[in-house]
Amino acid sequence: MTGRFSRVPTLQKIAEAWPWWLLLLALVGVRLSKGAFFADGYALLSRPFWPGSAQSEWLRSAQLLSDKAQLADLERDNSRLRQMLQLQRSSAGLVSAAVIARQPSGWWQQLELGKGALDGLSPGDAVLAPGGLIGRLESVTPTTARVTLLTDASSRLGVWVGRTRQHALLVGLGTPRPRLQFLEKDPGVRPGDVVSTSPASTLLPPNIPVGVVQSVNEQAVPAPDALVQLSAPVDAVDWVQVRTR
Amino acid sequence: MGILHRQRWCGATGLLVPLLTLASPGFLKIAGIAPSWAVLWLLPWALVDGPASGAVAGLALGLVLDGLHLGRASEVPVLVLLGWWWGRIGRRGAPIERSFSLGLLALVGTALLGASLLLQLHWQGGLPLPVAGWHTLMAQTLITALLAPLVCSLLLLRWRQVASLRG
Repeated sequence: MTGRFSRVPTLQKIAEAWPWWLLLLALVGVRLSKGAFFADGYALLSRPFWPGSAQSEWLRSAQLLSDKAQLADLERDNSRLRQMLQLQRSSAGLVSAAVIARQPSGWWQQLELGKGALDGLSPGDAVLAPGGLIGRLESVTPTTARVTLLTDASSRLGVWVGRTRQHALLVGLGTPRPRLQFLEKDPGVRPGDVVSTSPASTLLPPNIPVGVVQSVNEQAVPAPDALVQLSAPVDAVDWVQVRTR
Repeated sequence: MGILHRQRWCGATGLLVPLLTLASPGFLKIAGIAPSWAVLWLLPWALVDGPASGAVAGLALGLVLDGLHLGRASEVPVLVLLGWWWGRIGRRGAPIERSFSLGLLALVGTALLGASLLLQLHWQGGLPLPVAGWHTLMAQTLITALLAPLVCSLLLLRWRQVASLRG
């Protein structure tokens, strides 16, 4: 009898095996926590081998490339549709030109470009800088061209606010920020809205960003007006692109 | 008429005016506004060479500068007037030599030039007076008057030497 009982582990023996019980408990814990300890441990150990910033740069450049391709596709599509609508008859080309003299402030706001009629430029062409439209060609000589900046007091440009789909007149004041004159009493425009060239324009290429509404004066008569911060830095630009017609 | 305009090289320095206006070096600006180079050149020229030569030089400078600017506002009338006035001052009384007098003449001249442009631009329907005009007027008058003692007195000395040698 005593022999049979001696095969069954006594309480004391069970108590003596406490490390194994603890291990079992830990394993149950791992099971219940879906392997938390192991996953965390693995993460800690493998951290030096994780994909670094290079990977995210690759991803970003790939994204950029795909965006660019998509944009080019859309632009091509857009110009094809516009031609079908006969909004813009001639195909436009871009001519890069250096800024050889600048007067962004003073009595006149103008730039002189290092290319002229010999390169196909003509008065009225749109002048673009990184960031958006900065002005139009006022006159050309065989090798130079003069640009009336959007800030010049003689500059008048039909634009529209994309968010509210409203047309307005961008009037230069001789200050760094031109004024946006609305045609309607309640334009619903607020600071931060993006202003771009009108999509119905035949003089200028459509949908080119011009600037951002900075402040709106609701009290102005007969219709509210707003001040616009141009998106292209006129003071700093050294090369511009002229969209020939 | 004086004798300065017969010296080819003295007249040729006038070509620097449109070139400097185009280049508008950044370190000679106040609040982004360049000085009036036409005033800085015309003042010593008229003082040395007399009213008729001053008026003609003012006309020539005005025509060239108008060609370089946008719009229809003209600098010709005021530059002709300034050339004639400064020529008369140079012919009558003691010759102007002090830096202060040069600075003052340049200040008055630039203020007149700026005021005429301001009014022309305003009447043509563009520039709203209080916004941009005053700023440009004040800054240009100030920087031109500050530069006048430096630039004008050098030109004045040189041209007086030439005039006394040839005359």
